[in-house]
Amino acid sequence: MARVKAPVEEAEQVVGKAAPRLDAEAKVRGQARYADDLSFPGMLYGKAIRSDRPHARILRLDLSQVAAHPKVACVVTPKDIPGENVVPIIYRDMPLLANGVVRYVGEPIALLAAETREAAVEAAALAQVAYEDLPAVFDPLEATRPGAPQVAVPAAAEGGNVFNHMVIRKGDVERGFAEADVVVAGEYRVGYQEHAYLEPQGVIAVPEDSGITVYGTLQCPFYVQNAVAAVMGFPLAKVRIVQTATGGGFGGKEDVPSHLAAMAAVLAWKAGRPVKLVLPRDEDIATTSKRHPGLVRYRTGAKRDGTLTAVEVEFYYNAGAYQTLSSAVLWRGLIHAAGPYRIPHVKVDGYSVATNTVPCGAFRGFGSPQVIFAHESQMDELARELGMDPLVLRHKNALRVGDETATGQRLTESVGLPEAIGRARELSHWDELQDEVAAFNAQERFRRRGLGASTVMYGVGMGAKAPLLDKAGAYLKLEADGSVTLAVGTTEMGQGAQTVLAQIAAEGLGVPLASVQVAPVDTSRVPDSGPTVASRTTTVQGMAVLDAAEKLRARIVGAAMEMLGCPKVVPGDGRFHDARDPTRSVSLAEIARWMWAHNWDMAASGWAEARPVDWDAKTGLGNAYFVYAYACHIAEVEVDLLTGETRVTRFWAVHDSGKIVNPETARGQVIGGIAQGIGYALMEELPAEGGRILYPTFTAYHIPTAMDMPDEFVVEFVEASYSGGPFGAKGLGEVPLMASHAAVANAISAATGTRLRAYPATPERVLDLIGRGA
Amino acid sequence: MHTTGLAEIVRPRDLAEAVRLAAEGGEPLAGGTDLFVRLRKGVERPPFLVYIGDLPELRRISVGESKVEIGAAATHAEILASPAAARLPILRLALEAIASPAIRAMGTLGGNLANASPAGDGLIPLYLLGARVNLVGPDGERALAVEEFVLGPGKTALRPGEVIRSLDLPFPEGAPRAYFRKVGRRRALIIAIASLGALLWLRDGTIERARLALGSVAPTVVRPREVEQALVGRPLAPDALADLVEALSAATRPISDLRASAGYRRTVAGRLLLDLACTISPGG
Repeated sequence: MARVKAPVEEAEQVVGKAAPRLDAEAKVRGQARYADDLSFPGMLYGKAIRSDRPHARILRLDLSQVAAHPKVACVVTPKDIPGENVVPIIYRDMPLLANGVVRYVGEPIALLAAETREAAVEAAALAQVAYEDLPAVFDPLEATRPGAPQVAVPAAAEGGNVFNHMVIRKGDVERGFAEADVVVAGEYRVGYQEHAYLEPQGVIAVPEDSGITVYGTLQCPFYVQNAVAAVMGFPLAKVRIVQTATGGGFGGKEDVPSHLAAMAAVLAWKAGRPVKLVLPRDEDIATTSKRHPGLVRYRTGAKRDGTLTAVEVEFYYNAGAYQTLSSAVLWRGLIHAAGPYRIPHVKVDGYSVATNTVPCGAFRGFGSPQVIFAHESQMDELARELGMDPLVLRHKNALRVGDETATGQRLTESVGLPEAIGRARELSHWDELQDEVAAFNAQERFRRRGLGASTVMYGVGMGAKAPLLDKAGAYLKLEADGSVTLAVGTTEMGQGAQTVLAQIAAEGLGVPLASVQVAPVDTSRVPDSGPTVASRTTTVQGMAVLDAAEKLRARIVGAAMEMLGCPKVVPGDGRFHDARDPTRSVSLAEIARWMWAHNWDMAASGWAEARPVDWDAKTGLGNAYFVYAYACHIAEVEVDLLTGETRVTRFWAVHDSGKIVNPETARGQVIGGIAQGIGYALMEELPAEGGRILYPTFTAYHIPTAMDMPDEFVVEFVEASYSGGPFGAKGLGEVPLMASHAAVANAISAATGTRLRAYPATPERVLDLIGRGA
Repeated sequence: MHTTGLAEIVRPRDLAEAVRLAAEGGEPLAGGTDLFVRLRKGVERPPFLVYIGDLPELRRISVGESKVEIGAAATHAEILASPAAARLPILRLALEAIASPAIRAMGTLGGNLANASPAGDGLIPLYLLGARVNLVGPDGERALAVEEFVLGPGKTALRPGEVIRSLDLPFPEGAPRAYFRKVGRRRALIIAIASLGALLWLRDGTIERARLALGSVAPTVVRPREVEQALVGRPLAPDALADLVEALSAATRPISDLRASAGYRRTVAGRLLLDLACTISPGG
């Protein structure tokens, strides 16, 4: 259990400061080495031979022409897998290579490695596969009907194609609706969202030292290590995972690299040579994880004064053909389904359903954006029904310290939501803003502006579904010259974690940030810190870094006292001063040299475990997460009534993520989340037919450009300190995306005078809405 | 399936050699922003490529008394930075809407024309200005009106071995007002779902003459000449043009594709006339 760290008494020197990103210069200069930049002597290029059927039995797999290709060095089928033919994630239903049956278009069937990338592509096309097509199902609701084709591996499903059905039963929802004066109901639909990280998936497996090393772009090195060990039948210690500079993850590199790394490892082992497996963009979009498409049915009841009495939610997520992370995604959706509100009666039923489609997985927000679209639409529909200001309605029902969440968790500290709503109201000049928008609309003939708000909560960390993973270790080493090496098992993927963790280390040690160097993540040299997911790194990993820093600092201070011959020292200007006579001081370099010369232990390891959580699957009640982050967003959107085109004109975002360790990287996270939310709400769409992604390219899949960002945006933080986080910090990474799309959606509804019930709000769909609103 | 590996790129000394190489089957390459996409997809497999992008005679932009002549390999960015764009507001409006700064720095107006996509933003001003396309081939030089040059999606009147040398953009008489608008899912880096460009000659708020060009709503860019005629004599105001919205829609022959339905394209193309009426102020 993590010890509670009181914030240090003196004002912080490094934490809370806008330090430049440690990785920025190398990336800007083009010096950072991404997976595809690496090359090894004798390296081959791997390629998966994939199913082109959504559901079929493999009658015959003839790879003779593939193997006969002059540049093919090695071919792999399931019988070549030295260990188990499984990609272990939460369940063990997904094989590394299809075992007789394929369940989605793009499922790997066999592998090859060739001397060149071009030859690998050529050779893969020579595979002859004879299939017997099986009935397939692509829609989650159809997949739950009796007689639907069985997609789910039975051992991994609760029944039929329902992978998981999870519930919350709080109070008596029928009573809650009976007590309501007003009830609103609606059905909301969302499709895929693709991560669109700049760097596609890629790994290189290198057989060495009687084991295997995998270099790759990834978020969770210890997941990858576990998967490669299982597939190779190796002890974990023979599998080394090295993270390369990672060009974005957003959840897309949580579980997928395990599959890729295990494929590359089997190929490399059989060939006895390094194998690079980097996915081209279309293969990446078509065959790797995405945000779950969802259908959410929602009903909300309230008193005439706006007090919420009941919420009833039923939602379905299309999980794809295998479990991967869907049970965890569903659980987060379940816990977040009722929103950040005080509601006495709550009934939620969430289903993740297997279909013959590419497995969905983690994506920033992890199952929450789908239900947030619904609950935030409902709040606006309710406000309209009640004739109330939507911000007032949200503020009135917002959770406060002492309140119970939808799972009956009593919040004991760090609930900055009411303050965030209040601040967003002030910053946007909400009342004047309404008048401005009304004046604009009165004057313009073919344009309408609308305002939309959203409020969200986010359970920081893994939560009660996976508490075993919510731990972290850190190694700190004082070098003989006073510089400091920090090693952690969580990863930098562009989110700024390295910088924030180095700031925590520097603050904890009382040294300047410039003296801290963060080591590359290599599973043979860093502690298992759990996965880099769930906005947990600053909080949980940060506590482990602080733990190590405090241990090492005690020794530094001890050495300084011995050197100065005084009972107390104080840090300042990168030196340690005699507390009685500050003119006497030693530098960190002098202390380090002295410690080295006196054979002192100059390394410390830190450990942190998240505070305990608990949850009862039968009732859905419990302390789901150790703490929550909150946000309130306001969007102003302009709609062109002639074309249905939309434009986000202004945006206000206020977040409570506790203490902000680095205001500049935090601001970057918020702005990035706003962009990704604008994309989700307005333009990102990946149509599929018969289980096939039709256009897996950036020509067809549009993410926002700089031009699509609001003309003006304001980002601010209210810092409701959390006693279980370093210097009071909570998580931030996912929250901005979660809040932004819903504010944009509500603004479109306000502008068109109708209700947007499906994403994305493309010009054509908005024009249709306008037509119905008129 | 991906096709990898690039055909050999040959660099001619001058235009004459470029024409000779093109006659041998080489595919002219300038900015490559469309060509490389097709090569990568494997839909086109030329035996070799002829890089004409740095031939000085194809890069020239000259402003004459009655026209601007733009070399086929002048990039969008170069044209935008040249006096040609200042003299022809419609050219500036359309080229600024192309893709992104990086693509505008690579892509060429000649290439945009040769690509002959009905969605090519650069084609709209060529249709509006009545541009002529100067060609050079094994049998010598000839010139075609842009409407004769573009035959359909990806289809042009180019004969084997022929290369676009330059484009002549005549200055319109008087001082017409320019309008360009493209509809899409985002505000940059987007292929138009529908677009409308216009030149309007106004006197005292009344339309004296009009030229319109619609993009992305037919196999080629379309000049809806009946609507152009019908605009003459009308005040430039949405209410005065409302009855022509249908007529403009009727001038389209759209398809449904991944970007939008035919019905949406038809509706929006007509309605852009109202946007035009609001965007161009009758005074200034």
